[in-house]
Amino acid sequence: MKKKAVFVFGYNEYGLEIAKNVSFKFDNIVIFSLDEIKEDDKKNLDYEFKLYDISEDWGSLSDEYDMQNSIIFCALRDEAENIFLTISLRTGFNDTFIISLANNHEDANKLKMAGASKVIPIVETTAGIITDMLKKPVITDVLHKILYEDGMLKIAQISIDDSSHFRTQYPADIEWSRDHGILVISVIHEDGSSEFIYSSKSKNQYIKDGDTLVVVGYQYDIENFKRLVKA
Amino acid sequence: MKVFNRFLVDIAYKINTSVWYQKKKRFVYNILENDEYKYKKYFDIFMIILIFSSVSILIYEVKASVHDYLNIFNSYVISLIFFVEYILRFWISSSVTKVIINQDEYSDLLSRDFDLLFVIRRIVKDKLEYMFSPKAIIDLLAIMPFFHELRLLRIFILFRVFKIFRYAKSFQTFTSVLANKKFEFFTLAMFASMVIFVSSVLIYVMEANNPDAKITSLYEAFYWSIVTISTVGYGDVVTVSKEGQFVAILVILAGISVMAFTTSLFVSAFTEKLEDIKEDKIIQDVSKLNRLYIICGYEQIAKEVAKKLINTDFQVLVLDSCPQRTENAKKDGLTALNYNPGTVESYKKLNISLSIHVKAILCLREDDVENVYTALTVRSINKDIFIMSLLMNQINRSKLIYSGVNEILYDKEFVGLVAREYVGQPVAFEAIHTIRSESGSIRMEEIPITERVLKNFGLVEELKNTKFRVVILGIHKKSSKRFLFNPIDSTLLESGDFLLVIGNYMFIREFNKYLLK
Repeated sequence: MKKKAVFVFGYNEYGLEIAKNVSFKFDNIVIFSLDEIKEDDKKNLDYEFKLYDISEDWGSLSDEYDMQNSIIFCALRDEAENIFLTISLRTGFNDTFIISLANNHEDANKLKMAGASKVIPIVETTAGIITDMLKKPVITDVLHKILYEDGMLKIAQISIDDSSHFRTQYPADIEWSRDHGILVISVIHEDGSSEFIYSSKSKNQYIKDGDTLVVVGYQYDIENFKRLVKA
Repeated sequence: MKVFNRFLVDIAYKINTSVWYQKKKRFVYNILENDEYKYKKYFDIFMIILIFSSVSILIYEVKASVHDYLNIFNSYVISLIFFVEYILRFWISSSVTKVIINQDEYSDLLSRDFDLLFVIRRIVKDKLEYMFSPKAIIDLLAIMPFFHELRLLRIFILFRVFKIFRYAKSFQTFTSVLANKKFEFFTLAMFASMVIFVSSVLIYVMEANNPDAKITSLYEAFYWSIVTISTVGYGDVVTVSKEGQFVAILVILAGISVMAFTTSLFVSAFTEKLEDIKEDKIIQDVSKLNRLYIICGYEQIAKEVAKKLINTDFQVLVLDSCPQRTENAKKDGLTALNYNPGTVESYKKLNISLSIHVKAILCLREDDVENVYTALTVRSINKDIFIMSLLMNQINRSKLIYSGVNEILYDKEFVGLVAREYVGQPVAFEAIHTIRSESGSIRMEEIPITERVLKNFGLVEELKNTKFRVVILGIHKKSSKRFLFNPIDSTLLESGDFLLVIGNYMFIREFNKYLLK
């Protein structure tokens, strides 16, 4: 059986931070570097390292890995090379989720055109977090704990299928917090559009199979809720 | 005599240490002289209105008769106000008690007798210095119309117009700019005087004896020279002889050079001082702010942060030692100064108190060395100010902590965390990201619980948030510094707590209004 993995292109601080943060979900993390990496560095890091050439043919990866369920991060510091790499990987793997780093909006647009599924604009992301910290420090702190820290409070996405408990009910009519100890923030529809739980549209639209509920709650309550949804 | 001297010194010390007296003197100083004092502008406006009304009455009086009330108002009321102002300015122009105390300390130190004569001389000198300053002379002349009976003195009302210059800051800037070119203006004046003198004499000699001559006296020659050199050339007095016309040619040529020289002097004086004037204006504006964010260094991230902050009406000042980057900040519509944020001098020049005026210092240079240097500088000035700093290289984290930074911003870490969410729960992350980005109508807001809110609402169940279609995510408790997620109905609200709510921004606004009802 082929393995699913995270491929990080770029042996640099960004690449290493990405590898560190995705290791909770993926056992196989492969870091691709243009240059030879020192043996000592390799020993200190629990990842697989590979050398690559920017104009390489990536077909061989499919032999070893389940590319459909793998994720690729393009984190080269040179923007032009990063765009070239993204195009090159997209032509090789049509269905793989590719996330590319961009310095700014201009490069972000080019990367999207090059086939990146998601782009993380470094400057905008950093600036956004800084301004959030200044504008809404309490919210930023709470969300940081919910999103990024391993506390008891979690955010989760729960899919509704055809046998689901809440199917055909109106989201605004359900006492989520009183009855289930969780808060439903949004309902994401199959087409990718999202609705806030109390929006006018949401009030008139019942929960359908294929919808995803974005919920916040304590881990224990979320697990119970997930079981209830599947019941 | 010694007893009198002692008495004088005692009185001086008493006055100098009197809180009441000093408070009053400080107030008078602020209202008359301190441009940064917030009530000074109202006083200035009041005085300008008085001046204009006084001059208007004078103009009206030329061709019509003025009602007695207006005459009394003009001659006595306004004059009295100006007189009081003059006396107050005279009072604050120098400190008499300080001179006495200084002399006492000086004589004590050198074991000499108190020199009363020296003190009197010094006080008189200081006060005369003020009285003979141009501004004080104008002030005094503006009071003169008070002596209504002396008709001649009524013309002194015109000096009240000059008083406007005292209250118009732009005129003071104008004179200070020109003062820098004193030598050049003096040279120009000497040259022009020489030309006028020589040409007046020459033209008088050439023309005066000619039967058709228009210039028959030295005064007319002088008038002709002035009109010609200034390139005005009215044409009412002209030369008739060939010799006279030759002199006229020379004077016209000299006039062109005088005008060119004068214009270039004005232009260069203002060009040289323009940046300083702008800088002074920025410093003046900044000193009026009290929730200022100082961004140190203007590069890519700083640019984005500043843009986001000013879009939400935050007050931002950019300091950067690089002229090009400072210029970029100005082009982006920001208030920016080409000051090095890593020197204490820069903050002194800003003339603000970091603890009062500044909310946070953001060290956003994309260079750890510069950020450490700036953070240390700021920390050396103020121990409590909130400092945020970018970290470019993980290895320097400890240095930033050591330099007193409160919040370290490591962009690689942020990218890693975002990557984690895209890998873990992309849909949930996107939903939260959309709400936080404030691009749509759904927002996440923090509502402070104040005493006013507590007057009507003491428990969570009383808030009735669902009526406003607002979700309460939780309460941030001030007392325990903990976040209570999904609080139960009986949760007690306390002053200083924050409600974290999600909803349509209009509904949140309504909910907020309802809480403050």
